Amino acid sequence: MKDIVVRADSLHKTFTLSRRQRKLEKTGETKKVAVDGLSFSACRGEIYGLLGPNGAGKTTTLRMLSTLIKPDAGDASVMGHSVVKESGKVRDCVGFMTSELKLEKFFTPDYLFQFFGAMHGMSKDKIAERKRDLFTRFGVNAFAGVKVGDLSTGMLQKVSLVISIVHDPDVVIFDEPTNGLDVLTAKVVTDFLMELRAMGKSVLLSTHIFSLAEKLCDRVGVIIDGKMAAEGTLEELCGGFSLEDRFFSIYRDLKGDVL
Amino acid sequence: MKLLALIKKEFYRFFRDPRLIVTMLLPGILIFALYSILGNAIYSEEEEARAYRIYLQGESSLVTVLEEVIKESGDTVEFLPLEDEESAKAEIEEGEAAAILVFPEGFDETLLMGVFGETKPAVRIVYDPSDEASMTFYSIASATLQEIGSRFEIAPQSVRSEPELGREVMTTILPFIIVCFVFSACMSVTLESVAGEKERGTLATVLVTSARRSDVAIGKIVPLACVSMLGALSSFLGIALSMPKLMGMSLGFLGTYSVWSYILLLPLLLCIVPLIVAVIATVSTLSRSVKEASAYTGVLMILVMVVSIITSFVPSFGDWTVVVPVLNAVVYMQRILQGGLPVWQSLVSVGVNLLYTAVLVVIITKMLSSERIMFGK
Repeated sequence: MKDIVVRADSLHKTFTLSRRQRKLEKTGETKKVAVDGLSFSACRGEIYGLLGPNGAGKTTTLRMLSTLIKPDAGDASVMGHSVVKESGKVRDCVGFMTSELKLEKFFTPDYLFQFFGAMHGMSKDKIAERKRDLFTRFGVNAFAGVKVGDLSTGMLQKVSLVISIVHDPDVVIFDEPTNGLDVLTAKVVTDFLMELRAMGKSVLLSTHIFSLAEKLCDRVGVIIDGKMAAEGTLEELCGGFSLEDRFFSIYRDLKGDVL
Repeated sequence: MKLLALIKKEFYRFFRDPRLIVTMLLPGILIFALYSILGNAIYSEEEEARAYRIYLQGESSLVTVLEEVIKESGDTVEFLPLEDEESAKAEIEEGEAAAILVFPEGFDETLLMGVFGETKPAVRIVYDPSDEASMTFYSIASATLQEIGSRFEIAPQSVRSEPELGREVMTTILPFIIVCFVFSACMSVTLESVAGEKERGTLATVLVTSARRSDVAIGKIVPLACVSMLGALSSFLGIALSMPKLMGMSLGFLGTYSVWSYILLLPLLLCIVPLIVAVIATVSTLSRSVKEASAYTGVLMILVMVVSIITSFVPSFGDWTVVVPVLNAVVYMQRILQGGLPVWQSLVSVGVNLLYTAVLVVIITKMLSSERIMFGK
């Protein structure tokens, strides 16, 4: 039995919709349930993927696990720390990467790496050692002194990646890890995620790309309308079908023939 | 350690960006240049025809020369015998007379004979440097007499002591100007650093680390207050150094204040900087964009300006003002500039302003922890 390092227990999150959002979503409802009693667990040394369409609640779940937002009900633990009661401790053992979190354009990757290392309470020596390792692995050295504002999208994604894991976290959470990346950078990222798994780290990622989930994930949770529709290893979930076919079958079962 | 890294980052951001340094220091330089040019223009421009009333003591043919010079410039002059110097001075102070002109006895004969003894004879001109007509007459008279010869001296004498004049100007204008410059200096850096970072999503990246929210709040307020002080100091120096030219006076009156006055003035001036930074940072944290924060801050600026200028019209506030933020600093800066030494009131005001700053830091900390404020759409 593997160690469970992330455990979500009946997570629930509701958002109040602004007038503008109600108009955009063409609804009269003032509340929207983003996550509705979601429970799952991820073990040490595995990649767990949250698969679902846009608006299913994947990002909200990851934001709750990384303590950016609090659940309305339920709780989750990361490395044994509650995201509700021990958010500081959770942040120390989690690396979170999402397009929502930006880097200041004025600074260089070199400076930002040191700054965020210090933000996680790392010593200068430890930061320097980590920088040598990650900058070499991701090819950041070539543009380490260039301001973030002058970097290409691919370069920026690499910098965001190395900064999110500067503190060598036990749990790495990625929201749509390969979105917007060129094929070469995407390959570097997927290889690195597999390497993290080999190192005994736990990786939680959200995606709507079936091939990525099939390639990377040990276990997958299918989220539809904030609820866990199906969960298991790829073999358990797919039962001989492709992940894409199985997903649409689950979707049809829940939502009817709306595709 | 984390707090230090946050503070260093803000300083690094500011001092490595030439644009920010320029926008911070430029107002002071521009004010100095603008006010100096304005001052020169005011004192050199042509005036409308004036009728000068001059009290005269002693006789000299130079009076006729002076009269002709004044008439040539389109003005008129009436010389009246000086009977009571004190009442004549009072008339000058009230603007009814322009000056007193005193020639020593036997002035013309002394000049003709060329026998001066150890000292040259002196023509005394009593005038009011704060009155435009009196100041103009003094300028014309001294220039005309100096042109005629160097065998005598001109002894100018102001009806107002310079410290008194300086104090009057400084008391009414300076605290208000200081607060305005402090506010604009704070606004330029704080809006960008807090509302800007929130809008761009870079503040959220810091919040995802294990740094405490209170460290993030203090890590903003402390460096921004230091940088704002620099900007406020630049503007303050700009206006202080250009004021003599603008008012046609010297900085000599600054030396009439005691060391204690300056010791009390400094903390009063400095304590409003972190307070205003904290107020703007609170508004910026609450706002969704720089644009929204700018709009709210504009209203705040008007409020602070009204509070500051109101002290120029209301002769005396009670000691209850020590608990009113910003107003307390303005009121006691005025008292000090008037020559008073309100020690306990000033110290309490500084303490109260720092207390308000601490309360705002706590509020910002709470807001940084609020997902509705930080991540609400």
